[in-house]
Amino acid sequence: MIPALTIVSAVVAFPLVYSLWMSLADVNLLKTTGPAIELFGLRIPLFRFVGEANYARIFADPLYWGSVGRSLYFVAAFVIEATLVGLGMALVLQERFAGRTLMRSLLLIPWSLSRVVVGLLWIGLLDFEFGALNAALHRAGLIDTYIAFFKEGFTALNVLVSVYMWNQAPFATLLFLAGMQSIPVELHLAAEVDGAGYWQRLRYVTLPALRPILFLVLVLATVNGFLMLDLIYILTMGGPGYDTTTISWLGFQTAFNFFKFGPGAAILYTLTAFCLVLTFVYRFLMFRREAAA
Amino acid sequence: MATVPATSTWSAAGGRYRIRARSVANTVVLYALVAAVAFWLVAPFVWLFITSISYQRNLLSRPLAFMPPEVTFDNYRMVLGLVRFHAEGQAAKILPSMLNSLTVAAVVTVINLVVGTTAGYAYARFRFPLKSLSLYALLFTRMLPTVVLVPAFFLIFRAAGLQNTLTGLIVAYCSFTLPFTVWIMKAYFETIPDDLDASALVDGCNRLQAYYRVVLPVSGPGLVAGGAFTFMLCWNEFLVALVLNTKLGTTTLPPVVAGMNGQINIDYSVIAASGFLAALPAVLLVLCFQKYLVEGLTAGSVKG
Repeated sequence: MIPALTIVSAVVAFPLVYSLWMSLADVNLLKTTGPAIELFGLRIPLFRFVGEANYARIFADPLYWGSVGRSLYFVAAFVIEATLVGLGMALVLQERFAGRTLMRSLLLIPWSLSRVVVGLLWIGLLDFEFGALNAALHRAGLIDTYIAFFKEGFTALNVLVSVYMWNQAPFATLLFLAGMQSIPVELHLAAEVDGAGYWQRLRYVTLPALRPILFLVLVLATVNGFLMLDLIYILTMGGPGYDTTTISWLGFQTAFNFFKFGPGAAILYTLTAFCLVLTFVYRFLMFRREAAA
Repeated sequence: MATVPATSTWSAAGGRYRIRARSVANTVVLYALVAAVAFWLVAPFVWLFITSISYQRNLLSRPLAFMPPEVTFDNYRMVLGLVRFHAEGQAAKILPSMLNSLTVAAVVTVINLVVGTTAGYAYARFRFPLKSLSLYALLFTRMLPTVVLVPAFFLIFRAAGLQNTLTGLIVAYCSFTLPFTVWIMKAYFETIPDDLDASALVDGCNRLQAYYRVVLPVSGPGLVAGGAFTFMLCWNEFLVALVLNTKLGTTTLPPVVAGMNGQINIDYSVIAASGFLAALPAVLLVLCFQKYLVEGLTAGSVKG
C-alpha cells in the first residue's frame, strides 16, 4: 500500500511544487547550467530565483485583468447554463417513459467525446459556410444570411460557453439524477396526498433535497469553467483579438506559445490558488453533509 | 394548476405504489421534452457522422440537404491512407497516432488499476499518518488545473529525455488520472463491508491476500468504472500531448485531428471522418460500461 501512495504523491506533488518554484524563477529554457537539483539521477534546473517578480509583472499587465474579467464572465455564464440545462434534463429524464434506459445512455455521448471532437462537431454546426445550424435557421426563415458565430468577440465567447455546456451539462444531469433517486418516495407521496402538484413538489420536495448536489455541481462547474482550454484552442485561439482569451488560455499561451515559463506558471498558479479555495468550500460542504447524514 | 401531472417523478420506487395514469396532454408534453433532449444530445454527433460520409461540395450547397444526396466513404479512405489525395501527409499520421493513443491509454489504465485501486483500498481501510492531509491533497488535485503541471512536466521530461516519448505521456497522464481512480475506488471499497476483510484475516490471509483474493474479486463494478473512466480520459486528452510530444509520430490522436483542423486545404468532411474515428472508441466504451461508470462516478463525487 505504501508504494502505491508514494507513487501517487510523487507524480502529482513534485510537478506541482516544481511549477510553483518556476512561477518564482526566471526560467530560461536555453540555459541548462546554473543551480539544479539532483533527483533520481536527473539534473533538474532551478533557474534564478526572482521572488514575486513574475507575479508583479503579470499583475501589472492589463491583458491579465482583462482575461480575469472574461474568465469571470465565462464561468458565470457557464455555471448558470450548465446547471439549468443539467437540472432541466434531469427533471425530464427522471420521469417514467418508454426508452428511459436508452436515454440515460445517450446522456453520456456528449460527455464522452474528446474536446477536440466536440470542437470539430460544433464547427460543423456553426460554420459560416457549411454550418448545419445556420442552414436550419435559414431554412426556417429565422435568418436571411448565415451568422458568423466566431467573428464578433462577445458572440464567440458566448458560443464557447454553450459548446462547453453541451459537453458538460450531462454530467450535472447524472449527479442530479443520482440525487433525485435518493429522495424517499414517501416525501413525494405525502406531498401528493396533501394536494401538491408537480411544480409544488418540485419547489418543496425535489429542489430542497437536491441542495447538496446543487452545491457540488456549482463547485465542479466553476472549477471546470476556469480551466477550460481545449475548446478555445480548437474554436477561437483566444480571438478575435483577445476577446476569448481567458485566464487559463493566457497562461497556456504565455508558457507554450511565447515560452515564458515563469510568468506562464505564475498565471496558472493564480488559477490554482483559486481552485484551492474552492476545494476548501467543497470540502466544507461535504463535511457538513456527512455530519447531517 | 388544473392539469396536475399525476405522474411518478420518483420512479426509483418501482412497484411500491400504484402509478396513477398520466393525462394525454401531459404524456404528449413529456414525450416532446424527451425527444428534444434526445435531439440535443445526439443530433450534433449524428451530424458529424453525416458530414463524414458526405462530399464537401454537398455540404457547401445551399440550401443544405440534411439527408446527404450522395453517400461516400472516400473521406474515411483518405484518412486511413487507402487513397491518395493532396493532404495525405496529414492523414498518414492518423493510424500511427491512433496506435499511440491506444498504447498510452491502455498502459495508464493498467497502472491505474494496479496502483490506484491499491491506494484506494488503503484509504478506505487503514489509518496512517498524514491520512487526512493526503486525502485533502488528493481532493485538491482533482480540482487542480492539470495545465499548471504541464510546464513542470515539460522541463522535467526535457531533463530526463522523456519529451516525445510515450513513456513521458504515460507518466504525465498517471499524474492526473490516479487521483480520480483513487477517489472512485476509495468510495467503492467503502461500500464493501469491513467484515469481509476481517473474515479473510481470521481465515489466515494477510492483508494483501485479503485484498487480492477476497476484496478485489467482488470489486468488479468499481474496477470497470475506474478503468473505463481512465481509458476515456487518456484517449481524449489533448493539450498535454500537444505540448509534450511535438515530434512527428510520437503524439496521440487528438493533436493530429486538431492539426488537420488547422490546415485550410483539408475539407471539413475529411476532418469530420477523422473526428468520428477519434470519437468512436471512447463513445463505445462509455456506452458499454454505462451502468458501472455512472454508479462509480456518481458514488465517487456524491458521497465525497
